[in-house]
Amino acid sequence: MRLWRAWLTLVWLSFRRLLWSANTLMILFPLSGGALFLLRRRYDRMEDVEAAFNMFSNFLIFIFASFMIPICALAYGTASVGGDREDQTLLFLLVRPIARPLILLAKFVATLPLAVGLVAATFFLYCRLAGEPGALAYQLFLPTILCMTLAYVGLFHLFAVAWRHATIIAMVYAIFMELLLGNLPGIIKRIAVNYYGRSLMYAAGASEGLSRPEWFEPISSSAATWALAGIAGGSLLLAMLVFERREYRDLT
Amino acid sequence: MQLSFDRVTKFYGPVIGVNDVSCRIGPGITGLLGANGAGKSTLIKLASGQLRPSLGEVRIGPHRAWSSAAKRAFGYSPDINSFYEEMTGREFVYAMTRLYGYSRREARERTELAIAEVGMTPRADRRLAGCSHGMRQRIKLAQALVHDPPILLLDEPLSGIDPGGRREINELLARQAEQGKSILVSSHILLEIEQLADTVVMISRGRILASGTLAEIRELLDEKPLTVEIAADSPRRLAALLALAPEVQSIELRDSALVVRTIAPTRFFAALGELVVQNGFEVRRLQTLDAGADAVFGYLEGSA
Repeated sequence: MRLWRAWLTLVWLSFRRLLWSANTLMILFPLSGGALFLLRRRYDRMEDVEAAFNMFSNFLIFIFASFMIPICALAYGTASVGGDREDQTLLFLLVRPIARPLILLAKFVATLPLAVGLVAATFFLYCRLAGEPGALAYQLFLPTILCMTLAYVGLFHLFAVAWRHATIIAMVYAIFMELLLGNLPGIIKRIAVNYYGRSLMYAAGASEGLSRPEWFEPISSSAATWALAGIAGGSLLLAMLVFERREYRDLT
Repeated sequence: MQLSFDRVTKFYGPVIGVNDVSCRIGPGITGLLGANGAGKSTLIKLASGQLRPSLGEVRIGPHRAWSSAAKRAFGYSPDINSFYEEMTGREFVYAMTRLYGYSRREARERTELAIAEVGMTPRADRRLAGCSHGMRQRIKLAQALVHDPPILLLDEPLSGIDPGGRREINELLARQAEQGKSILVSSHILLEIEQLADTVVMISRGRILASGTLAEIRELLDEKPLTVEIAADSPRRLAALLALAPEVQSIELRDSALVVRTIAPTRFFAALGELVVQNGFEVRRLQTLDAGADAVFGYLEGSA
């Protein structure tokens, strides 16, 4: 009972600190940029709905899923542990009677409503702005968007426990690994999380005429779903293991 | 409850932080004394389970210090100056209390008690970002005391606190020690430890040089030079006689008292006793001038 109460306190404390962090403001800039872009493109006024759906889906795949989701996830995923680590306040948590893996789990759980909520709300807003094609995209892609967010949040928690300046490393990862390698032809793009998300999105949109580039060879939807779940769960478990064993000598 | 280090060695890569340290910290105030980089903070981090020993074992009572079970048994005040700056002192201590799993009501009660104990009640609603260093030190102490642990690990708790505040904190720690708590206080300021601690662990270059009361440690250093002040009648005659003793290195007459430096204290005191009895000197005051922590630590470091 005591441990449970302590753990819930940590979840709430972490959630509150993340919510009122500068990251929340910072992340609103690129997300607002996306909304302005959609307001200008006016997919809702295009007569060819299938073409509009294709164009809006490509915006979602190449900009939202490949860039904005990783940025949202890293804003909270790395900050939940990394912020405490850089401020040295992690020390106050490590000397409390909560097992270290549970501390990390609390951080992860505190991050989820923010990262998932922000991504889902932004996705909803973008789909509304896109009109009819947006409504269709919302139905088709929402589960994939949420799965990708989970995977990124798990992955960036692993970054945060492994490296001191995890936010910078995660930014480099998001730009180079996800954006660049994820768009390269061949098998190398399989190291990017968004490859699995895009595989799911192309598969979901195929029935509505969504065409994929020739160089993109998706894997099956079930394999992609398992891969995203594996990245989320595996990263979290690995992060808990690393956090349990790691000495944070940089805290004093 | 006891904190024990059993042949503890800690490596930082190729650098050795502490080297084969064994000691027991029992009830009362124990001062951990050493220069910067001597290994004090490493020992405290090992005790608070932030670091794992490379060799040996650190235990808090029956638990390994790294384990979460051990963490309920100690309170820790770190030497860092970082907090959740957006919180007030009261909010911070309350949040830390809740992390022990107390209910809201109990956490509030404990928070108020701890804040009162460190003398912060009227100032606890100030944001930590705007608090002075001394106030922040007190808040750190409050969060360490809040669950009434049997062991307190305090890393440089008096740094940045004004003399009045130091006296209050010393009194607070003395009260805690009277309750049977084991308190380990680190400092590089010898006078602080001398005033505060019952026993002292002196550390240098990762090794324990000596432990015990300052007087006990001084006794261990019998062959080290000692300065003694003697106030007696006929100081010049006493000085002339003492100058003949081979144990005496130098004699100085200062304000009608003799300041004698000896290289063999035990033999010197025996010789002095004989001289006083044989010549009928009346000794009004006899005191050692350098048995304090500074001198002892200086000798020990020099011989390490």
